[in-house]
Amino acid sequence: MKPILYQLKNLVKAYDGRVVLDLKRLFLEKGKVIGLLGPNGAGKTTLLEILAFLLPPTSGEIWFKQEKVHLNVGKLMKLRRKVVLVQQQPLLFTTTVFKNVEFPLKVRKTPKGKRSRMVDELLDLVDMRSFRDADAHKLSGGQTQRVAIARALACSPEVVLLDEPMSSVDVENQVTLARIIHEISRQRGMSVVFTSHDVVQTSRLADDSIFLLDGKVAKSAYENIFSARIETVTGDHKFCTLPNGLQLKIKSEKTGPIRISIAPGELRLSPNTPKRSENTVKGKIVQLNEERIHVRALVDAEVPLNVLIPKESFNRYDTGIGDDVWVTCPVESIDIF
Amino acid sequence: MTFLTDSFLSAILLIWTLNHDLLVIVGVSLKMSSISTFAAGLLGVPSGFLIAFSEFRGKRLVITLLNTLLALPTVVVGLFVYAFISRRGIFGTYDLLYTQKAIIIGQIILIVPIITTFTISAVSRIDDRYRKAALTLGANLMQTARVIIREARFAIMAAIVMAFGRVIAEVGISMMLGGNAKGFTRTMTTAMALEYDKGEFVLSVALGIVLLCVSFGVNVFCNYFQGRSRL
Repeated sequence: MKPILYQLKNLVKAYDGRVVLDLKRLFLEKGKVIGLLGPNGAGKTTLLEILAFLLPPTSGEIWFKQEKVHLNVGKLMKLRRKVVLVQQQPLLFTTTVFKNVEFPLKVRKTPKGKRSRMVDELLDLVDMRSFRDADAHKLSGGQTQRVAIARALACSPEVVLLDEPMSSVDVENQVTLARIIHEISRQRGMSVVFTSHDVVQTSRLADDSIFLLDGKVAKSAYENIFSARIETVTGDHKFCTLPNGLQLKIKSEKTGPIRISIAPGELRLSPNTPKRSENTVKGKIVQLNEERIHVRALVDAEVPLNVLIPKESFNRYDTGIGDDVWVTCPVESIDIF
Repeated sequence: MTFLTDSFLSAILLIWTLNHDLLVIVGVSLKMSSISTFAAGLLGVPSGFLIAFSEFRGKRLVITLLNTLLALPTVVVGLFVYAFISRRGIFGTYDLLYTQKAIIIGQIILIVPIITTFTISAVSRIDDRYRKAALTLGANLMQTARVIIREARFAIMAAIVMAFGRVIAEVGISMMLGGNAKGFTRTMTTAMALEYDKGEFVLSVALGIVLLCVSFGVNVFCNYFQGRSRL
């Protein structure tokens, strides 16, 4: 096991009494690429800002490299210089690309000659050398993200925190960003923590993944998350209605508005009408991805449903993109929050 | 009509020949307005920044008061400062009344709320991600403040230019605290009022033309900075 980088104990962050993060115990190991997964509002950005020492928690303890963090201004400055956060849709300062990347070196009083050389090296790393003197506000989303990463690396940090680095960039830039993340982790020995809501992408990039849901660490990555309302009660079972009118039978003690997650691996996909029609919806395959032992199908069944099917089973179905299929959601596959 | 045309042509001639009296009056006006704007900038910009970025009880009240002071009549400022610097006032011993210093003090009081209010507005509009970016990149509080002021620089400059426009065109403070002494505290606006009283319109019109040109220049600057701030 690698040395511990961060330890969070009973950490709570609340805004106006509303708890957005509640972590009993969380360890992050040094030198790894760690993916923080979760849907919007899971508390990923809040956690990153706490890890970057930009946001104080409401209560709880943060330990950084075996030392307890005391959130007073003098000590925070030292800690912040070891950790850098690249925000989701980062903002570059209103000046040139060069001056943006030079900024962290300038505030650290790096000699001018060295600064210029370092900026050029970093711009090479992110393939942005040709934009050295360009106006930073005239770059595309992907280019901005890459310059922001170069600017962050100019801090020579021990930890790089990336908030949804892939969310607003095209595939070409995603490939470049993945290469940069790999390089800064493997070659420069920096620890990287990034957030994402894409399970596939995270599993490809990260050594470890942590799943967040409603501010808490979850046991696995929740997918197919929908808002719903429990409305009809029949015997022991209840039905929940999704906003588009789709009704699913569930087991729950709760009433009123809820959130549900349907486990993709527990969904059953069938090319023909199944014999049992309970919790079965008809849909169309709109996307297929091959994973290690599964095929991931995105089915448009009034709501978008991710379905994981073992490769052998999928090959037997003889179905493809655009084909009609039936998806059965067993009651046990539905988690209620 | 002939009277107006004659006055206008004589005024143009006065400007064209760089009339000494005219130049002295314009010089005094520009000097005092520049000093008061510079001093008000030194007070107003940091105050605006502090108010925008600090959280304290009564912040909304302070902003409301500052907004109210934007419409402060110059004669009220004149009267207020007069009460302090006249012989009976608590600063009476400093002999400030009817000096350029008195006018500058009054003008600073007049425009500090303008610069402060517009700085608050300019700085508040700056995306909080700039502050977080500067902090995470290792900047200390002063360096972070410089980043934010730099991002808001065009809007802040527009506020300062606007404040300059306000002081150069004011008459109440200059008249009440300066006393309109020739070559010393006579500004463009007080000179115009005096010439009007005397029924001498030529110098008045000439000063009016210069004042309009200055105002035009100020507006051109203001538009330039406001335009840049929206880019």
